[in-house]
Amino acid sequence: MVFGKVVKNKAYFKRYQVKYKRRRDGKTDYRQRLKLTRQDKNKYSSPKYRLVVRFTNKDIVCQIMYATITGDKCICAAYAHELPKYGLKVGLTNYAAAYCTGLLVARRALKKLGLDEIYEGCTEPDGEDFHVEEVEGEKRPFRCLLDVGLRATNRGGRVWGALKGACDGGLDIPHNEKRYPGYDPDEKALDPEDHARYIFGQNVAEYMALLEEDDPEMLKKHFAGYCKEGLGSDDLEDLYAEVHEKIREDPSHTKKEKKVPANPKKWKAVKLTYEQRKAALKERLAAVAAMAEE
Amino acid sequence: DTLSDCAPRRSASQAMPRGLGRRARTRDVFSRPFRQKGFINLTTYLREYRIGDYVDIKVNGAIHKGMPHKCYQGKTGVVWNVTRRAIGVEVTKIHREKQLRKRIHVRVEHVQPSRCRDNFLARRASNDKAKQEAKASGTKISTKRPVAGQPRVGFELVPSSEVETLTAVPYDIAATVK
Repeated sequence: MVFGKVVKNKAYFKRYQVKYKRRRDGKTDYRQRLKLTRQDKNKYSSPKYRLVVRFTNKDIVCQIMYATITGDKCICAAYAHELPKYGLKVGLTNYAAAYCTGLLVARRALKKLGLDEIYEGCTEPDGEDFHVEEVEGEKRPFRCLLDVGLRATNRGGRVWGALKGACDGGLDIPHNEKRYPGYDPDEKALDPEDHARYIFGQNVAEYMALLEEDDPEMLKKHFAGYCKEGLGSDDLEDLYAEVHEKIREDPSHTKKEKKVPANPKKWKAVKLTYEQRKAALKERLAAVAAMAEE
Repeated sequence: DTLSDCAPRRSASQAMPRGLGRRARTRDVFSRPFRQKGFINLTTYLREYRIGDYVDIKVNGAIHKGMPHKCYQGKTGVVWNVTRRAIGVEVTKIHREKQLRKRIHVRVEHVQPSRCRDNFLARRASNDKAKQEAKASGTKISTKRPVAGQPRVGFELVPSSEVETLTAVPYDIAATVK
């Protein structure tokens, strides 16, 4: 048996200072958050909007948020699980889907703010770096900052897909083309065609085509969803183009009716009322008094 | 501004004088409270300050920029300027027999919104409301606060013959439950 000093003794716990909740959960980088939310004091309460892009295992979340003392407020959100409504039923977490989600949140936000007619963005995505230009005499473009959360900002990531979708959608997001897939760090230039490949899911399509030729069994296994929808490797480009069109046509969000159950289940143990507790105490006292008499 | 900030701190006769740098003797004042070290909550940065607001100066030792001098710690002043990251605060500093109006710039981390006006503003609002009601009903009211020195209602002195002495009774749970 090894005799060692107990590190986590009472004194340790007494002096231990916990990190913030969200830091303990590993969800928020506060230094980054500060930089994104901090507004100049001489701009008083003007909100600083940020495009929050998060990826889960099966979904993509794009939200436009701003911070207040009472909590962050979301003015507009789009999820990859909404894309089936626009005709995209599979591949909801790839680069092309991220592009669609970014595009959706941008068009939705602009429509909400009344800017969608003024700022169309890039209606025919060709992978080129696109920055929204201010239209003279009209309202200025909607500016927000990209919030990647705890994602590593490597080249070719899906975060940039969402960013590209939002920019092409007409949002003014300061960015650089350095991180798009298709950027050559040696040449220091972006190859728009290469980037466009990813926007239209050609990276997926090429793999599909390979499997179609060489290994149809593997194709059924990996692309089960695509096979079910009847999508082949040739169909993806047109599919994504259609989705982009449909998004631009009607980016509005349909609210789902919430079903309120007649008798909501109660999971918490219901606390006794004061009267109930007093009555229970009376009984106990009576019992004790009865026992004492015996 | 360092030397004029405070009264002269050392006499010429001292052989090994104490230091008198800007942050002299601030070991405890500027240190962060127990278990509140580390990153500052974002509320501090999200607060809005306008010219004319009252603010308390409370130095946050974790932020080294835009720190006010230690003599302003705990002082309350009026905001006279708002810049990108800092607030201009006008503080009254008492030096010997005179009061100096000092205008300093302080980063928002070292400033808290003051509640010194809360009491007055609440009283003013309730007084205005009372006056409105009185005007509507035609009655006359005085919204003046009672002068200090007069005994408050309910606290008059009572002759000892009328005093009733109470003693504590041992606690009987059965009696209380009944």
